[in-house]
Amino acid sequence: MEKRVFIKDTNHVGKKERTRDFYTAFLAQLRERKLENDVQLIRVADIGAYNQGFVVHIYPDDFLYSNVEMQDIPRMIEESILGGKKIDDLVCHHISKQFRIVLRNCGVIDPRNIDEYIVHDGYQAIEKILSGYTPEKVLEELKTSGLRGRGGAGYPTWLKWQFTRNVPSDQKYVICNGDEGDPGAYMDRSVLEGDPHSVIEGMMIAGYVIGATKGYFYIRAEYPLAIERVKNAISQAYQYGLLGENILGTDFRFDLEIRLGAGAFVCGEETALIASIEGKRGYPRPRPPYPSVKGLWDKPTVINNVETLANIPVVILQGGAWFSNIGTGASKGTKVFALTGKVKNSGLVEVPMGTTLREIVYDIGGGSASQAKVKAIQTGGPSGGVIPEDFLDTPVSYESLQKLGSIMGSGGMIVMDANDCMVDIAKFYLRFCVDESCGKCTPCRVGGTQMLNLLERASEGTGKREDIEKLKKISLAMQRASLCGLGQTAPNPVLSTLRYFEDEYLAHIEEKKCPACRCGALFRYSIIQEKCKNCGLCAKNCPAGAILGDRESGYTLDQEKCTRCGRCFEVCRLGAIFRG
Amino acid sequence: MKKLSVDDLSAMRKELKKKKGSWIRVGCSTCGIAAGAKEVFDTLKEEIQKRDLKSLEVKQCGCIGMCYAEPLVEVMIEGMPKVFYGKVDKDVALKIVEKHVCGKMLLNDRIYDAKRSR
Ligand SMILES: Cc1cc2nc3c(=O)[nH]c(=O)nc-3n(C[C@H](O)[C@H](O)[C@H](O)COP(=O)(O)O)c2cc1C
Repeated sequence: MEKRVFIKDTNHVGKKERTRDFYTAFLAQLRERKLENDVQLIRVADIGAYNQGFVVHIYPDDFLYSNVEMQDIPRMIEESILGGKKIDDLVCHHISKQFRIVLRNCGVIDPRNIDEYIVHDGYQAIEKILSGYTPEKVLEELKTSGLRGRGGAGYPTWLKWQFTRNVPSDQKYVICNGDEGDPGAYMDRSVLEGDPHSVIEGMMIAGYVIGATKGYFYIRAEYPLAIERVKNAISQAYQYGLLGENILGTDFRFDLEIRLGAGAFVCGEETALIASIEGKRGYPRPRPPYPSVKGLWDKPTVINNVETLANIPVVILQGGAWFSNIGTGASKGTKVFALTGKVKNSGLVEVPMGTTLREIVYDIGGGSASQAKVKAIQTGGPSGGVIPEDFLDTPVSYESLQKLGSIMGSGGMIVMDANDCMVDIAKFYLRFCVDESCGKCTPCRVGGTQMLNLLERASEGTGKREDIEKLKKISLAMQRASLCGLGQTAPNPVLSTLRYFEDEYLAHIEEKKCPACRCGALFRYSIIQEKCKNCGLCAKNCPAGAILGDRESGYTLDQEKCTRCGRCFEVCRLGAIFRG
Repeated sequence: MKKLSVDDLSAMRKELKKKKGSWIRVGCSTCGIAAGAKEVFDTLKEEIQKRDLKSLEVKQCGCIGMCYAEPLVEVMIEGMPKVFYGKVDKDVALKIVEKHVCGKMLLNDRIYDAKRSR
C-alpha cells in the first residue's frame, strides 16, 4: 500500500448509510482503475474537522479536503492520488489551530523514563544556561518572550524572578504550584503526569536565576499518579546528577522535594500555600510583603504555576523572540485549556493566544455535544465568569477575557447549552467558594453565604426584585474588602451571569420560572394524556416511583413524589411528557 | 550511575537520538487508566511477545489531550502513517496487532484524528 485515504462524514454523525455509500463509490472507482491494491481507503472515527461534510485526507501527500461531494471522487483520484497535486477548491480551512509548547511531550514520551525527556531536547535548556548564560541573560530572554504566569493572575514571569533575585538573602526558594483546585480543570495534572521533567527543568532555571538552591513541588494529594511520576522523575534526575550538588560539573546546586496539599482550594493561593508548606494552617495573609520578598520561612521565594514552568525550557531553547512571535498583544505564547461540559470532544487543548473562543469550541471541540445550541462558555472556574455565544469571536488573551467580565484563570473552559440555567451555574460556583472559604476574613465568610442565600431564594421561587441590587452590593464589598483572591473573585460568576443573563434572574424572581428547567421548584413534569400511548416506559424508568398507573388504565405523575430528575422526559419517544 | 557533565549530557542525547524503529504507545495518565488503558497495554505487550515481534516497542506515555477518545493507542510502523486509535479495548488491541502491525492495513472506524497525528 503506497497511499492511504482517510474519509469521514463530519456532518451526519450516526448516519452510517451516507458514509457507506460514499465509501462504496470511492472503492468502486479505485477498482475501476485497478488501484485497490495500491490505495487503502479507511473510514475514520474522527478526522479533526467538524460540520464540513465529507472530509478526505490523502496520505502521504497530506492533502486535507472538506465538503467533498461524490462527483469529486474522480478528480481526487486522478489529480491528487495519482497526480500528487493539490486541488485548491477542496482544501479544508477550518482545522484545529492547536500548537503545542507546554504539552510538547505529553502523550509523546514515557514520563517514567528520563532518557525519553533527554532525547526530546530535555535538560538542554539548563545545559545551555550552565554553559554560559548569566542570570541576567536568562531574565533578558524571559522579558523578550513576554511570558506571563499561567496560574491565573498573569503576572510577568521575568519581573517576578527579577524582584526575587534582587532581594539579598542567605537562602531563597522556588515553589511549583500544583494545587489546581478549579472544578473541571486538569491541565497541570496532565503536565505533571505526562512530562514531569519539563517542570523540574523550569524550576532549576528559576533557582539558577534567583539564586535558590532549594525548590518544592506543592501537589494536591488527590493527584496520586502525578505525585508518583514527579517523585520518580526527581529521583532519576538525582541519579544523573541533574539535581543535587555540582550539577553538570558546575558549582550550581539545586535540591527538590515534594509537599502534598490536602485539597483545599484556598491553598492554591500563594501565601496560603506557603503557610501550608510550613506546616501551618492554610490561611492567606495580606500582601505586601509579596513572597518575592518574604515567602517560605520568610525567605524570598518565587512561586509559579506548573504550566508557566513547563514553558521556561522552550523559551530558553528557542529564544524569547521566537516565543513572543506566538500570541497576541500583551499575551504571548500558548494557553492550555481543559475543554469540558456540553462539547463533543472534551479534552485538553493548547492554542496560541489570540485564537478565538469559537475556534476552540467548534474547530477543536467539535461544537455542542447535543442537539441544543451552545449558549455560553465559562472560563476561569469559580473566579471567572460566563461568556455568551455572541462573544465567541473574541480572541483569547488575559485582557480580552477580563473585558468580558471573566478571566483567563488557570484554563478551565466549560461549554454550556440551552439546558443550563445561569442562576444555577452561579449558585454552583458560589457554593464552591462558600465551602472553600477559609473563614479568616469577614467579607468572604459572611458575604459569600449571604449571596448564596439570595441565589437560593431565587431558585426556589421566593426571590424578591431588590435581591438583584443586594447581590451587586455585596459583590462590590467582597471584591473590595476580601483578604485574598478567593473572596475578591468569588462574586465574578454571579456578576457575569447578571451582566449577560439578567432576564433569566428576572424570570426566576418575577415570573417564578426557570427557562432552562433546572431549578426544581420552578417547573414541573406532567403527562400529556392526548399523546400518551400507555407504553409504560416512563413508569419503568422513574427512579422515584412517581409515575402511577398501568398499561390498561394509563399513567399519571405524582408531583409530590417527583424529584424533577427528567428521566421520563428523556425516555419518552412520543413527546408525551410536558416540562415547564 | 555516574554524574553527568555538560559534555556527557549532549553526547548522551546525540546517542539516544540515533535510535529508530517501530513502536506502539498507550496513553497511561489518569484519564487513560480510568478508561482502561492498563488492560490495553498489557494485552498489546502480551500479544507482541506471543508473536515474537522483537523490534516493536510497546510504551506508555502521558495524555495527548483527546480525553473523549481514551484509551488511546498511537501506532508507528515504519513505512506507514502514524495514527491514533481511540476507544481501544482488548479486542481492538488484538486487531491492531493482527491487521495493522502484521497485515500492514489500517483499521476502519477506529482512527481518531489522522490529520493531527502525523
Ligand atoms: C483562591 C486562589 C486559588 C489559586 N489556585 C491556584 C492554583 O491552583 N494553581 C496556581 O498555579 N495558582 C493558583 N492561584 C494563583 C497563585 O496565588 C499564584 O498567583 C500563582 O501560583 C503564581 O504563579 P504564576 O505567576 O506562574 O501564574 C490561586 C489564587 C487564588 C486566590
